Amino acid sequence: MIEFRSMTFGYGKRPLFEGLDLTLEPGTVYGLLGLNGAGKTSLLKLAAGALRPTGGSISSFGREPGRREAELLADTCFVPEDPWLPPLKPAAWLSRYAVFRPAFDRERFAALVKELALDEDKLLTKYSYGQRKKFALAAAVASGAKVLLLDEPTNGLDIPSKAQFRRILAQAAEPGRVVVVSTHQVRDLESLIDPIVVVHGGRVLFSLDATACAERLSAARLPSLEGRPVVYAERDAVGWAALLGLPAGEAEGQAPDLELVFDAAIAAPERLAAALKGEALGAYVPEEHLIDKEAGK
Amino acid sequence: MRLGTMGGRFSPARAALLVRNRALEDGPGLGIGLGIVLGVNVLSLVVSHRAFLNSAGGQGWSTAIVLAGLILSAYAFKGMHDGKAGADWILLPATPLEKYLAALLSYLVLYPLLAAAAATGASALLRLAESLAGGPGGRIWTPFQAGILEDYADYAVAALVFIAGSASFRKRAPLKTIGAVTAYGLALASLFLGGLALLHAGRGDLDFRYMNGIFSAEGGIDSDRIERIGKFLFEGNRLVLAPLFALLYGYFRVFEKEARDEVQ
Repeated sequence: MIEFRSMTFGYGKRPLFEGLDLTLEPGTVYGLLGLNGAGKTSLLKLAAGALRPTGGSISSFGREPGRREAELLADTCFVPEDPWLPPLKPAAWLSRYAVFRPAFDRERFAALVKELALDEDKLLTKYSYGQRKKFALAAAVASGAKVLLLDEPTNGLDIPSKAQFRRILAQAAEPGRVVVVSTHQVRDLESLIDPIVVVHGGRVLFSLDATACAERLSAARLPSLEGRPVVYAERDAVGWAALLGLPAGEAEGQAPDLELVFDAAIAAPERLAAALKGEALGAYVPEEHLIDKEAGK
Repeated sequence: MRLGTMGGRFSPARAALLVRNRALEDGPGLGIGLGIVLGVNVLSLVVSHRAFLNSAGGQGWSTAIVLAGLILSAYAFKGMHDGKAGADWILLPATPLEKYLAALLSYLVLYPLLAAAAATGASALLRLAESLAGGPGGRIWTPFQAGILEDYADYAVAALVFIAGSASFRKRAPLKTIGAVTAYGLALASLFLGGLALLHAGRGDLDFRYMNGIFSAEGGIDSDRIERIGKFLFEGNRLVLAPLFALLYGYFRVFEKEARDEVQ
């Protein structure tokens, strides 16, 4: 379990998180969502121990990541958006770096390298961006780490690779392992991530699980918003893509997609909170709920 | 080698793996360097029938070993500061102490031993080639010569300072380290001379001299005593204070390092 308690962190004098509280349980794949600059990568680095909080505390399976104890580092795997790999072939990489992780599963790694069609005779630095991501992902899944922190893992992957990634991530979600995926591409991972954690304005705005969303929310394409329990709506070519405060299946509503839920969390947090509690919603005024792209900073 | 257990704050097995990795990373560059040195000497053999590194008592070998060692030390923690590789370096499952100690062992112990062995071998090879080429034969350089321990102590102190500089400075670490050491030396000299002038105030003119590495002060002053104090301060700084400071400062820089360098 990873626990952030009243955690404060910032770059220079600019605070990024102020009193952030978050608990991440094992056996779960968390989707970490937020606008650009909201601090998703920083939050992952804080959980990994690459950054240290300026206040409050972080605990990962009872240990403080910032102390960088070797056991905890071996139990944690952070895959950055653009992974760095040394100028080595996969076999040499294994003998130099995987040896620091006692739980590293070489057979699983070999199977993943094969499944991802990664060239074992090529230097890792000669891999393309997507191949480097696949290699880093294979290494993370085979690492045996109890904490997997993946930053924008589907960025730069082609369509078949995204499907492979989903399959591998589903295998990686083992009991006892915390998986956190920071992403802007929620549709790529919609079937896997549950719950979603929305980070905004230096704190966790929402932690929503799929069941709660399905019980309270639905999505619909509407020509007009009048008389509907609208949580949030975006104009599209034919009318409105709306998130409604109605369970999926009721009236014209369908299961809500995560992108719309995320937009609602950012643009209309009070309405979303009210809908999740089953409270009545007032009239929806679109102009009052525009997403401020800088607000996450 | 594979680690069976990760228990304990300090693991010699992890430190040994880190030393091995450093040797594997530095090895190719050093091999190329040795190849170039041998090539230039072969060229000098062809032109003048003499391997120039074996001449003048083989001092060139010592200089080459020290220079290469200091260059390696000056870039010991380059990866830690790298915007992309830095996070991986920091998060490699080994403690900051193990990572720091691995650098010390690599450049203060392993490198000098291997470089001296390689230089002895290369020197012997060149001597043989020189004899075959009809030259005077020269002398085989070996590390077993007078003053080697003192030379090693000087190298070790300088390497420690450069390692600390590498842990501290993100860019142009060698130049910044040289700058910091120069500034420290100047500040110390100013303090010493200023103190001396203050103590001597009102007792006539003071005449400072520095010749062939010996400092002296004349002018109604106990010159021998001042020289002893100066030597004590200089040696104390060189052999105790500077290495101790570099050792601790370098470690804390490694321990404190965070992956803040890349775009957030």
